[in-house]
Amino acid sequence: MPDAILLLAIFAAAYLGFAALAMSQDRHWHHLGGGRHCPRRTCMVLRCSGWALLLAALVLALVRDGASFGSLLWATVITVGALSVVATLSWRVHWLRPAARLLQHLG
Amino acid sequence: MEQGFRASMNWLHTWSGVVLGGLLFAIFWMGTLSVFDREIDRWMAPMIRLPAAEKTFSLEVLRPLYEAAAAAKSPFFSVGLPTDRDAAIRVLWREPSGPVHRFIDPGTGVMLPDPGTLAGTRFIFPFHYMLHIRFQDIGLWLVGLAGMAMMVLCVSGVIIHRKIFTDFFTFRPEKKPRRLILDLHNVTGVLGLPFHFLISLSGLVIFWATYFPSSWQVTYNGDRLAFFADAYGNVIPKGRSGEPGGMASFDAMAAEARRLWDGSALRYVFVRNPGDAKSVMQIGRLDEGIVSSTYDAAYFDGPTGALISYRNGTAPVMSTQRFLSGLHFIQFHHWSLRWIYFVLGLAGCVLIATGYLFWLESRRKKHAQLGLKGVRIVEGLAVGSVTGMLIATGAFFVVNRLLPLGASAWGQDRAALEVWTFYLVWLATFAQAWARPQRAWMGQCWTVAALASAAVLLNWITTGDQLLRSLSHRHLWPIAGMDILLLAGAAFAAVAALRLSRLSRIGRVRHA
Repeated sequence: MPDAILLLAIFAAAYLGFAALAMSQDRHWHHLGGGRHCPRRTCMVLRCSGWALLLAALVLALVRDGASFGSLLWATVITVGALSVVATLSWRVHWLRPAARLLQHLG
Repeated sequence: MEQGFRASMNWLHTWSGVVLGGLLFAIFWMGTLSVFDREIDRWMAPMIRLPAAEKTFSLEVLRPLYEAAAAAKSPFFSVGLPTDRDAAIRVLWREPSGPVHRFIDPGTGVMLPDPGTLAGTRFIFPFHYMLHIRFQDIGLWLVGLAGMAMMVLCVSGVIIHRKIFTDFFTFRPEKKPRRLILDLHNVTGVLGLPFHFLISLSGLVIFWATYFPSSWQVTYNGDRLAFFADAYGNVIPKGRSGEPGGMASFDAMAAEARRLWDGSALRYVFVRNPGDAKSVMQIGRLDEGIVSSTYDAAYFDGPTGALISYRNGTAPVMSTQRFLSGLHFIQFHHWSLRWIYFVLGLAGCVLIATGYLFWLESRRKKHAQLGLKGVRIVEGLAVGSVTGMLIATGAFFVVNRLLPLGASAWGQDRAALEVWTFYLVWLATFAQAWARPQRAWMGQCWTVAALASAAVLLNWITTGDQLLRSLSHRHLWPIAGMDILLLAGAAFAAVAALRLSRLSRIGRVRHA
């Protein structure tokens, strides 16, 4: 059971990490209801948290499966996570709108 | 300079893609299916849909078949032992009439009826790495060429991508077909790059001794056996003595092998020269807990059962090769990774297919204006290698459920008839695509949907394992998984066909 939860957590971290990186890009920021350009501070925050989440996914994968399986799992799960972000941006963009709105208020 | 370099990479990417795309798609598709080769075996050979094997069964159940192999003077007697994915024992030896494959139920020791199919492990998986072209290893070399081309395509694709970071997450399904296809090609290519590169590289590394033969040929003076003895620790086989000889207890040797590896499970049993006084028994270790594909084996003298030698662990030089092979073969126990491989393999198929489509869409108009034939030729090639490959696979599954056990026609046995169906149907899809290019994509998508649904229905009718039943029995989950994927594939193909027919209607209105 903890294995399944960890797997879900790895995927979630990869997905959210790439979602943050995508949001920091002008095109997607605009698409999500922000201005033409993602503000510099927000962009920095998004990029840093995006990379941190990807790193967290790696750490979780190594904890779950050890060095060899863990690194292999991470290297493949992040692709699945990134493809899921692409699908979200294409067909379910409203899932990410609340997060974008929140960041606009904070920024 | 910059412009010239990018242009030349663009040329390389375009033309190696167009020329080798069909081959690459076939290899990627069959490789993706091979991820579940043993599950496909269970689907195609209903007699091996057995509950999980008891952990302890006597290897002596093999004795009668061993005696048969010895009587036939077979050069070998090979046994694959049950694993988590495979409940039956697989036995192979050679009769004068040809190789004999049999399954044994480890619970009862009963030999199961000949399934009459090559199924996943003997058709789909070998197709993936050697295209079933054995002559002069041509199949192996073609796959190697395609693997090398895939790496070239990965690298040149990154170089010619103008906005790799801006477009990193960009897929715009509402755009025009040409833009949409390029988006999809870019997204699957860039995001899938780590997997596609690694899987092509590791695929090449598996056959390094074939693809880069000069290194060992020079060092070992062309002595293949001596080289393999050093690299893989194989014991150089002794010839037949011609004297008859017995075979010591299978169970005693297996127990000794397990003891040598601290109680590890066993993967296979392989006897060289069965029935001969110089027979050698080789027992292989099963290690599903690591990525590396280990090749630990113990060798016993057949008649006495005395240990000759054994290996435990991999030499440093080979450990990288074994790790890369292992991550390609996925014989380890890790279901999440297995499914991820399957999904990323499909992403690779999408990548190759969209590459073709983009080539076609960006030239269609121009070629029509100039009266060139290129688009038509490549379109036939693309249709046949993409949807045609899916149709041939679907026909392979359908005919497997239609032919009764023991069927034969035109001097071909059941397994051969299935393979003939695959190739003839595949050929027909190319013919159709070249003869009627306007409706080829749509028609073939409908055919894929029809064949995939028919396969599920026929599995129900012929075996009674419909989805509710297979989902409620643990040992039938592979069947449920295959049925669900077939239904999902059918739905996907039907949606694609509907979209295409809508597009062609809009196109016709616009032209009128």
